[in-house]
Amino acid sequence: MSPRLAGACIAVLRRDLVLAWRRRSDIAMPVLYALIVTMLFPFALGPEDSLLQRIAGGVILVTILLAMLLALDAMFASDIEDGSLEQLMLAPQPLALMLGMKILAHWLTTALPLIVIAPLLAAMLHLPAAVIPVLLLALLLVTPLISLFGGVLVALTAGTRRSGMLLALMLLPLCVPALIFAAGAVAAAQQGLPWLAPISWLAAVLVLAVVLAPLACAAALRIALDC
Amino acid sequence: MTVAAAAVPLLEARALSFYRQDEPVFAPLDFQLHAGELALVEGDNGSGKTTLLRMLAGLLHVAAGELHWRGAPLQRDACAGEILFLGHQLGLKTDLSPRENLRIAAGLCGCREGASVEDVLAAIGLRGYEDEPVRRLSAGQRKRAALARLLLLPATLWLLDEPYANLDRHGIALVNGLLENHTAAGGAALVTSHGAVSFHGGEPRHIRMHS
Repeated sequence: MSPRLAGACIAVLRRDLVLAWRRRSDIAMPVLYALIVTMLFPFALGPEDSLLQRIAGGVILVTILLAMLLALDAMFASDIEDGSLEQLMLAPQPLALMLGMKILAHWLTTALPLIVIAPLLAAMLHLPAAVIPVLLLALLLVTPLISLFGGVLVALTAGTRRSGMLLALMLLPLCVPALIFAAGAVAAAQQGLPWLAPISWLAAVLVLAVVLAPLACAAALRIALDC
Repeated sequence: MTVAAAAVPLLEARALSFYRQDEPVFAPLDFQLHAGELALVEGDNGSGKTTLLRMLAGLLHVAAGELHWRGAPLQRDACAGEILFLGHQLGLKTDLSPRENLRIAAGLCGCREGASVEDVLAAIGLRGYEDEPVRRLSAGQRKRAALARLLLLPATLWLLDEPYANLDRHGIALVNGLLENHTAAGGAALVTSHGAVSFHGGEPRHIRMHS
């Protein structure tokens, strides 16, 4: 990687992180949402330990998926509005890589805080402490996948107005396989079974997505803005 | 050899046109732009000036006709960084200061030789506002912050969509000065404007748009 390219990557990443920091309250929203939604389950289902333990893994994964969805359509919206995205597309840098940096920044600012509070969510649902590392590992693999899939879909729907609902309808089915593997790993760990296989599958899909999703994202954005 | 190289136009359009829902946005255009030339794109509202500039920048596909860059069919990768586009959307992050915005632009596109963010901000008339978030600047100051990219980035062809909008008299003189220096240094520029514009340099070329 040439120094120019590395400099451009850092410039994009830094810009998005600084922007997110200037609007810190936006970072807190998905976190609060995940906390409140998880809190609703014991109220609705009763404080029965065994029941909460059984559903804990799935509830936390789905809650975090939905919380990420809340912040997803903002990924390129402001950049399209103020013309920054045009400037990014015209820059003499590979667009896919620059968008990859934007997706990385988005993951760092929305998914990472959620992963940080995941142990708290797990404790609220009485998930055994021994399972929490597996849950975190699954989240570390699933959340970048959601960000990457989401990035492509946000790019595809970039031209349309009120794309939020459409985005949810398109993204959620795509996340089903990842969710099955992640929940499967947590459930296996809870039952004392080997959990490495589903985690490995997730890691393999993530590697594939890291390579392909930014390319698809770049192509989709070029099409979306070409009208 | 140098004569032949100089004769090749920087940008050449042949029967260039753009269609939106099978309707032509503007009548086929033919023009050449050589290094050191300034062209004024004229036309009424809705005649396709912005569309033309976006197409030349590579944001829109070439629907009909041909577009050549230095004699070869224009390809985005070949001329990226040589073309600087400044549209109605200024491409400024309003939560960041002019200095931060320019640093990002320089990080993405590189810097003109000998240009620094500080000097450019002073030259464009934003001294004292370097660290103010762009959202607190006036429309004219924002425009200046966007125009600062012209001084900072190393581009040969400037595509400026309404560069005079929101600027005061000094700002307009400033843009004219920038254009003069740029063309004198061998650059070229395509400018849209429906206001009366006077250049101190030679008479600019005119490209008239008809719908």
